[in-house]
This record gives sequence, structure tokens and C-alpha cells, in this order.
Amino acid sequence: MPSIVSVNVEHLHLISNHIPTIGTVVVLVLMTIAFFRKDEGLKLVGLEILFAVAVLTLPVFISGAAAFQKLRTMPGISSNAIRLHQDVAIYGFVWLQIAGFIGWVALWRARRFGRAPKGLTIASFLLTIMSLIVMGRAANLGGDIHHPEIAGAATTATDFLQAKISNIMVNSPWAWPSSETVHFLGLSLSFGVLLTINLRILGAMKKVPFSAVHRLLPWGMLGFGLNFITGMLFFIGQPGQYIDSAPFYWKIVFLVVAGANFLYLTVFRKAWAGNDSPNWQAPGIDKAMAYVSMFSWLVVLYCGRMLPFIGHSF
Amino acid sequence: MGLLNWLEMLPLSVWVHESPSIWAQPTVMTFHTMGMGVLVGACWILDLRLLGVSRGIPLSAFRWVFRAVGIALVVNVITGVLLFMARATLWGTAFPFLIKILLVVASASTVVPLRKYVMSHGDTGDVDSRARMWAMLSIAAWAAAITSGRLLAYTVAG
Repeated sequence: MPSIVSVNVEHLHLISNHIPTIGTVVVLVLMTIAFFRKDEGLKLVGLEILFAVAVLTLPVFISGAAAFQKLRTMPGISSNAIRLHQDVAIYGFVWLQIAGFIGWVALWRARRFGRAPKGLTIASFLLTIMSLIVMGRAANLGGDIHHPEIAGAATTATDFLQAKISNIMVNSPWAWPSSETVHFLGLSLSFGVLLTINLRILGAMKKVPFSAVHRLLPWGMLGFGLNFITGMLFFIGQPGQYIDSAPFYWKIVFLVVAGANFLYLTVFRKAWAGNDSPNWQAPGIDKAMAYVSMFSWLVVLYCGRMLPFIGHSF
Repeated sequence: MGLLNWLEMLPLSVWVHESPSIWAQPTVMTFHTMGMGVLVGACWILDLRLLGVSRGIPLSAFRWVFRAVGIALVVNVITGVLLFMARATLWGTAFPFLIKILLVVASASTVVPLRKYVMSHGDTGDVDSRARMWAMLSIAAWAAAITSGRLLAYTVAG
């Protein structure tokens, strides 16, 4: 089984690190055109791409951290330059995830009420600008990594954000156990929501219009959000436990699949299509999607649970 | 103590605990976690509906929840017993484990009045206050059960 280190993570990071910057520029351009043309459809496309960019930035971030672990001992590489780059990337990552989350809420509301609420759309636009600024700075700092002569800023390794988070996660007697607990609570909540929605698509609860189960999606997002935050705390706290772990690699792959599926569940039209009726029957392709969704989440859970056994975390 | 010892020495217990196979402890634990997700997730969705989230769904449409709960409960009792047997002398004498079991039993017993309510009240509008109280209790009890269970890894040497 491949783990992250068996992939050329440096290369992967070099290719994928354009996603957060170029992706946010694309989002901003689309949304600006949409504003001027008053094109509701284009605005939604912009928000959908924003969500996709936020999801895809996860593997970008992970591959960067993995590349750091591999490169840190190489001559000609400035560890502190990488740490600085990573810290700014953490901030950019947080901004982008908030932007993606607000964008998702706007999409969810747009599906229910026909148009994206103005406030949320503007908020996600501004948050995307903020993400672009911080990510741009991170990208710039990434360029300094091969130029140790300009990255001599006097900081010690423990001053970095990553080191501080790691210190709390590892040394506090409560941080890790309570994050694990929240991770399991969030797991159950998102499982309940996804089970309900996917079972409806597969034909259970036939009398219920799809819009009624769609109403539950934010609760799934709440559970997922809790798990995303606690999961990132584990990863930033102890990256070494995860980056060369095969189940972690697959967990990330299937998280991206599940993320795409979640976007589809949020925006897809067929179940609404003007006649949001009870007795709606999902076409075969959507039933296939429902199976993929449930399968992906089971794989995510399986891989997570296998981290201490096939991998070596904890 | 004799009984716990005997349980722990059964070939099945020894296999779960000591086999390096991925199908032993790791898989049993994973099924226990999946069962937990389905069991608690399904209960919470019903509880949320009783508390007023997505009123658009008629209550009777939630009957599948009890089947999911039943299946998940069977999975978790089986895997739970296996995990217990594997370290019977540890779990059988640990106070935090006793708390966890009591919380699980308490949470699972909230399903009984909830089921009775859903089965007897078709799709009528308002949920009465007693059912809402059971729903809140169910949310809190399951959260406490998961918390106490997850913390076993830290409170009792795993």
C-alpha cells in the first residue's frame, strides 16, 4: 500500500500548491463578473468552485507538511524558511476554509430559496480575498525556501505557530483526549445526517420530499466541521504520525471524494426541479452517488480507526 | 476475578487480544466505531426532528431509525463483548468502564419511549413536551456515553 512518503510529495506539493492561489483568483473573477452581469447562475458557479478549492487545499497542505518532513535534513534548505512558510500557510488555510464554509452555507440557502443570500455571498467574496492575500504571502515565502541567504530572520524553532500548536496538543493532558472525544461526537452526527439523506436517495422514506432531508445538511456540516478542526489539530500537532502512514493517505483521498459528493448533495437539481414532490425517485446515477458517498465515509472512518494499527499513530 | 480470568483465557479472547492479524482487535474496534456512528447518528437525527429540526419530514418517515438502531446495537453488543473478553480482567475491574456501560444502557433505554411515541403518533404536528424531554435526554446521554467510552483509552490503560 502506498503511503504519502512513497509518493513524490515534494513534486505533488509543487504542482498542487497553485490551487489555493489560482483557484481563489478564478473564484474572485467569476464572482466579480457575476456581480456586474447580475448573473445568479455564475455567482453559484463561483461559490461551487470556492468550495472545491477549499476541499482541494487539504491535500495541498498535507503534501507540504510531508515534504517538510522529508526535506528538513537536506543541505541547502532553510528549516526556518519552511517553518515560516508553513505558519503563513496555516493562516491562509484557515481563512480559505472559513471562506469555503460560508460559501457552502450560501449554496445551501440558494438551493432552498432560489438565490444565494447577499450577505453571505459578499462575506465569502471578502473572505476569499483575504485567503488570496495570505496564501499569496505563503506562496512567496515558499519561494524563499531554496534561498537560505535571504531567510535568516532570527527566530527559534519554538516560536512558530506549528510548534506552539504541537506543544499544546502533545503536552497538555487534555488537548488530545478531548479532541478525540469531539472527533467521535462529530463522526456520529455527520453519519446520522448522511445516512438519512443517502437512504432517502436510495428509496427509503419515499413519502418525504427531498427538500425536507436537505434541511438536515447543515447538521452534517456541523459534525464534519468539528471533525475537520480536531483532525487538523491532530495533524498539525503530530504530523510525523500521519505522513508516512498508508491509511492516512487513503483517508485523505476518500475525504476529497466525499467532499465532492457533499457538494453534489447540496446543489443537485433533480430532486427539486420545480416539482419538489414526495414520491420523488432518484435516477440510477444518483443512487450510485449515494452508494459512493456511504462507501467513502466508511473508508474514511475505517482508515482513521486503522491509523494506530496499520500506521503508527498514538 | 476467576470468571474474568477464565473469560480472558478463552481462545477467542486471546486471539482478539494477541493476534497480529488486522482482523483481530483492529477490525473488531472499527466495527464498534462504525456501529457507534450509525447507532448514535440515527438516534440524534430522530431527536433533532422531535426537537423541531426539519418539521417537513413526517414523524412516521423516521421508522427506519429503529431498524438502523437495532442492527447497530447488535453489531456493537457483539463487538463490545469481544473487546471486553479480550481484556476482561482490565475492563471488569475498571470504574470508568462501569460508568461507560451505565451510560450506554441509559442512552439505549431512551430509545424505548421514543419508539413508543413515534409508533403511536402518526404525522400529527406538534411534539408533546414529554417526548421532547426524552429527545434532549437521548442527545445528552449518547454524548456522555461516547465521551466516557473514548476517554477509556486514557483513563484506563489501553
